[in-house]
Amino acid sequence: MKLLIVEDQARTGQYLSQGLSEAGFATELAADGETGQHLALSGDHDLLILDVMLPGRDGWQILQAVRQAGLGTPVLFLTARDAVEDRVYGLELGADDYLVKPFAFSELLARVRTLLRRGTSPSQDTTLTLADLRLDLIRRRAERAGQRIDLTAKEFALLELLLRRQGEVLPKSLIASQVWDMNFDSDTNVIEVAIRRLRLKLDDPHPNKLIHTVRGMGYVLEERPD
Amino acid sequence: MRRISLGSRLALLFAACTATVSLSAGLLFNRASEQHFVELDQQLLESRLSLLRTQLSGLQRPDELEPLLAPLRDELSHQADLALRITGSDGRAWFASRSALPEAPAASGLTTLHADGTDYRTLAVQLNKNARLTLFLDITHHQHFLQGMQRLIWLTVGLSALATALLGAWAVRRGLRPLRQMGQVAASVSARSLTTRLPVEQMPEELAELAGTVNAMLQRLDDAFQRLSAFSADIAHELRTPLSNLLTHTQVTLTRPRSLEAYREALHGNLEELQWMAQMINDMLFLAKADHGLLVPGQAVLALHDEVDALLEYYAPLAEDGEVALLRQGEATLQGDRHMLRRALSNLLDNALRFTPAGGEIRVTLEAGARVCVANTGMPIEPAALPRLFDRFYRVDPARREGSSEHAGLGLAITRSIIQAHGGSIRAECKDGWTRFVVELP
Repeated sequence: MKLLIVEDQARTGQYLSQGLSEAGFATELAADGETGQHLALSGDHDLLILDVMLPGRDGWQILQAVRQAGLGTPVLFLTARDAVEDRVYGLELGADDYLVKPFAFSELLARVRTLLRRGTSPSQDTTLTLADLRLDLIRRRAERAGQRIDLTAKEFALLELLLRRQGEVLPKSLIASQVWDMNFDSDTNVIEVAIRRLRLKLDDPHPNKLIHTVRGMGYVLEERPD
Repeated sequence: MRRISLGSRLALLFAACTATVSLSAGLLFNRASEQHFVELDQQLLESRLSLLRTQLSGLQRPDELEPLLAPLRDELSHQADLALRITGSDGRAWFASRSALPEAPAASGLTTLHADGTDYRTLAVQLNKNARLTLFLDITHHQHFLQGMQRLIWLTVGLSALATALLGAWAVRRGLRPLRQMGQVAASVSARSLTTRLPVEQMPEELAELAGTVNAMLQRLDDAFQRLSAFSADIAHELRTPLSNLLTHTQVTLTRPRSLEAYREALHGNLEELQWMAQMINDMLFLAKADHGLLVPGQAVLALHDEVDALLEYYAPLAEDGEVALLRQGEATLQGDRHMLRRALSNLLDNALRFTPAGGEIRVTLEAGARVCVANTGMPIEPAALPRLFDRFYRVDPARREGSSEHAGLGLAITRSIIQAHGGSIRAECKDGWTRFVVELP
């Protein structure tokens, strides 16, 4: 998976590039609009991350050029401006997502993964598994080591999200948005409480824990060697 | 092109009015005096004519004239401006008292003639079949008088117009003084002196309303400016604490080599401060957008009870943890923006959860016509503090921002912005051990 980052702020570009590389993506960084557009038109990227305000050509123009060249590469905009018209304009031009600074890196990473997954068809599996955890999506049943776990509807949805994106750190805002449809940043600890309750049912009776807290970033469901 | 000033415009209009009035009066007077002179002349000529007629009634031929000439001349000598001519039926002059008399018109009656620089009034009469008498009255001095009069009229018109223009300009200047005063006040208004107001009581009636409007505008500007200044000061203040924490923490961490674990711990601490700051800046940007009227809510039809249920489900684990009962009563449907209203109600519930003690209750009551009441049991709040709850950064207990998980005090301000963007209103009440937030939506 190769990503192109066009960002004129040297530090921002460097941090993004480093973060995404360490998350397992190949990244290419351009510091101005002209270079960015030139690289974007080569067509060998899976995702473009564009700053809106750029020297030379702005993000909108790069997006237009890319779409005019017939490339369907997904585009994620980063911007310091949060005007509704901007957002609408970007989406009209064919942007796929829009993140307003300041954003958390975990949020960016989650969105990048969502965009990259979009092209592929969702798994048709009727059961999701990790280690000895099994989730039956049809019968709405969860089992761990053969033992049934009683979950509320929201707990089930939360576990399904964690399982579908196992190994990925999911920020609280993404969980709130995907499970409860709460699409705004809130500083409550609702998600913490919900995760704690899920842990109580899922992990507490078992020695190997599956839900892990990544401090300051979010939660991840994965099997970790002790 | 610059528009003509109000003062000059009024002065010119005054002058035009005066000129019209004095010109009409002058013309009327001129005409009346002319008429008067004509009547005077006619009387004079007629009286002379009747006298002469009796003297000359027997005249048939020119040679009969000789004996009559002496008394005729004597008669004429009394009146220097009078002359006469006697003509025969063939048109030939039998006698003229003065040479260079103009040709008289054939018709009888009064006429006015002008010849060789002299004006005459003539009256002709047929003495008998053969002789005709024409009297000539020199009226040059009358005409001179009339001409003088006309000059006087034009002079009066001109001077009075000029005088009214000048006086009018002065009067207008005086009369428009309140307007100039208004202009001066407006000119002196700047970011520094938004407190200046126009003296409405001293303004004439016509301007009082305008002055009132201007004052109201200044008041609004002043309020907005004060709020903005206070907001900026608050932002600086609110950011100062986390920034200072970050600076201190980072510098202290770097003063000497530490274990990997210690660095990780330091970065986590910083991350928490940074997340708090990011959250606050995002909230402030949201409020700034609301202030600029950029918050445009969608207009979907929403079943509010479903939204509230979703929110209660979201908060249920937290409430259970805090041993707080959550309850919804009633139903309501309205048009609005789902995400925004969820956010507004979420902030209210979040706030309620913070202040409800264990064993307490939070009750959301919905009424059709769209009224939402979020009530929670808890400590009473000072009545004076209730309206201030929606102010930015306002906290009932000022010392209560410790620990970075504490929210910034913008939640209720955001709720109010969203409600107002929907054309609604929100107020807080505190009664009988319940704190209520009442939202009225159109």
